[in-house]
Amino acid sequence: MASQSPPDADADPSADGDMAANGEEPLLSVSNLQTVFYTDKETIYAVDGIDFDVKRGETVGIVGESGSGKSVTARSIMGLIESPGKMLEGSSIRFDGQELTEFSAEEYQAIRGSGIGMVSQDPQQSLNPVYTVGNQIMEALEVNRGMSGEPARQEAIDLLEAVAIPDAARRLDEYPHEFSGGMRQRAVIAMMLACDPEFLICDEPTTALDVTIQAQILELLRDLQAEHGLSIIFITHDMGVIAEIADRVNVMYAGEIVEQAPVEELFADPKHPYTRGLLEAIPGRTEQGEQLRTIEGDVPTPNAPAEHCRFAPRCPVAFDACERIPPQPVTVEDGDEHTASCLLYPEGETEAERAEHHRAAAGERRRGRAESGGEP
Amino acid sequence: MNRSIYLLKRIALALPVILFGLTVTFLILYRGPLDPANAILGQDAAPSDVRRLRVALGYINPDGSPVPLWQQYYGVMSDLLLFDFGNSWAVQRNVSVASIIVSRMPATLWLGFWSVMVALVVGIPTGFFAGLRANSLSDYVASGGGIVWRAMPNFWLAVILAGSLTAGGLMSWYRHFPCGPNENPCAWRTDVVTTPSEVSNLFSTIDLFTGVPVLEMLFIPVPNGFNLLIAFKWILPAALVLGSASMGNEIRIGRTAVLESINSKYVETAKAKGLSPRRIIVKHVGRNAAIPLLPVIMGEFYLLIGGSVLVEKVFSINGLGNLFFRAIIVPDIPVVMALVFIFVLINVFVNITQDLLYTVIDPRVTLEDTG
Repeated sequence: MASQSPPDADADPSADGDMAANGEEPLLSVSNLQTVFYTDKETIYAVDGIDFDVKRGETVGIVGESGSGKSVTARSIMGLIESPGKMLEGSSIRFDGQELTEFSAEEYQAIRGSGIGMVSQDPQQSLNPVYTVGNQIMEALEVNRGMSGEPARQEAIDLLEAVAIPDAARRLDEYPHEFSGGMRQRAVIAMMLACDPEFLICDEPTTALDVTIQAQILELLRDLQAEHGLSIIFITHDMGVIAEIADRVNVMYAGEIVEQAPVEELFADPKHPYTRGLLEAIPGRTEQGEQLRTIEGDVPTPNAPAEHCRFAPRCPVAFDACERIPPQPVTVEDGDEHTASCLLYPEGETEAERAEHHRAAAGERRRGRAESGGEP
Repeated sequence: MNRSIYLLKRIALALPVILFGLTVTFLILYRGPLDPANAILGQDAAPSDVRRLRVALGYINPDGSPVPLWQQYYGVMSDLLLFDFGNSWAVQRNVSVASIIVSRMPATLWLGFWSVMVALVVGIPTGFFAGLRANSLSDYVASGGGIVWRAMPNFWLAVILAGSLTAGGLMSWYRHFPCGPNENPCAWRTDVVTTPSEVSNLFSTIDLFTGVPVLEMLFIPVPNGFNLLIAFKWILPAALVLGSASMGNEIRIGRTAVLESINSKYVETAKAKGLSPRRIIVKHVGRNAAIPLLPVIMGEFYLLIGGSVLVEKVFSINGLGNLFFRAIIVPDIPVVMALVFIFVLINVFVNITQDLLYTVIDPRVTLEDTG
């Protein structure tokens, strides 16, 4: 602890992870991000107006079922949304003081790799099968750090060693199909580290791996974060992994963030019925002998702007107003760290008051979007 | 298993294929309903002449007893396998088959070269173009064109082109231009019975050892600007017809291959590394897209063998295809056997090359004996 240092705001250990309060701008700030996909039949609001921040050196988890918009969020930040997908006007992604949504293709290309890296879901397919692992790592070194020849090779060996691949010098000249699944994911991580990013998006990096390898990869990411001061967005549907790695968590459902909280608080005191459902579905948390609880039904496809709570049809505590009013984020604990978008909050108000609160907030939000031209 | 052992093994395995192909051809020619002696001499030939010719061709012994089939088979096969093709019976009597083939080869090579070039130079870039702009108007035009080129039968396209490009066809209005004294140079000639001198002049047989024509089979093209142009113009319609189906195939397969590669995870990863679109397409998409294209490209070589018979006939090109056709009709058995032998050899060679090329462009394919 920094208790010996002069008493300034930074020294307060309780403010750990709350640098924004000290006036420091978060490294990544996403606000009102709307990514839609136009199909012949309908428009899918895959990401529908989400806001979250990632501070320097922090790991932010995004959790939700398949189809809740997690990967589209990652792709939006990376600038990899292509037709028929589109980020709507009024979406804002601020990274290191720059507005990424206004970037040209060339500017985005420059920020990818050296600014923001991405490790994606499927290590089997994220490496090009026809080039050696070394070739692909050295390519990242060449493009992002201008290294080539023997120094690049040495650096690539160091990187493979850093991600705990044994016999790195020999492995460098092998092809991806000669690597095991866990080793391939390490190689992808090494390749992204070769770009020397400040920010890493991990899109379900451990989903395709077995549990022991998963634990090793999480351990590795934590070490690398400590070493390089990386900020990480960690996307997963696995609550156990989130508990393991994240500092703060965003729970996504059908394109919206339904609850945001620091990780301990989320697990200790989940507020949104969806989060509660997710936590109850983890084996071992319920009483022994009791049947494991699940959330009935599937994630709906968000094919219209929200006019109601999208979770209402599956929600055990839904009431009439849930069908009419789109819930807005409400602070549910002291401080502004923990919010939930649910008509059950703010606590202590009557049902009518709560409904009115959300209706007003939704109206304000809609006006804000209309001004920036976000509503199609 | 290393590459050279693999190669030796493949060559050893190719021998039965070559023998089988030649044996089947032999049986068809020698046990089929062909009567070379009568065909050569005509219906009114004297029986004694026919008899003498049969003896000369090796069908019967001088005493009139038939030569046993196995003996004929042994004679034909041992000569062929020693590359002794003998003399022609009918196409050009008593001229060595090797020299006939050598004299016809330039036209076929020239045709084959350009039909492969048309397919490669037009087909693959068009396919890549379409794949990179999938579902745009230009993609629809390009891949629609691919279907049309693929679907048009060679014989139909050949006749249509020959009809419209010659002096009597669509090009006839050109005659109003003072192009030349006798001939309309804008139109294509199709009455070429022998290879035009411009084309034969393109190739000259180089004697590597002074004065000794050791390497008759080795052609080294010696281009001469104007002749090259004339020869190019002369071959273009035929090459387009012969290459059209492969061109269509390459457009279709190229488009699919690019599309599949560009939507893959490794391309997304490459983008996440901050690579330029150009580098991604050239390095990461290009090589992966080449894998499914390889058999299509290699398949063109078969097409040159089978397809050139028809195209050479329609365009009256005096190449190997035309020779093959005439030799079968006459029939001139030594010429047919020699050509089948050469075609089988090309086939086997192309197959082995294709397998070796696979290991070069796709490291997942190895020559290792894993089974």
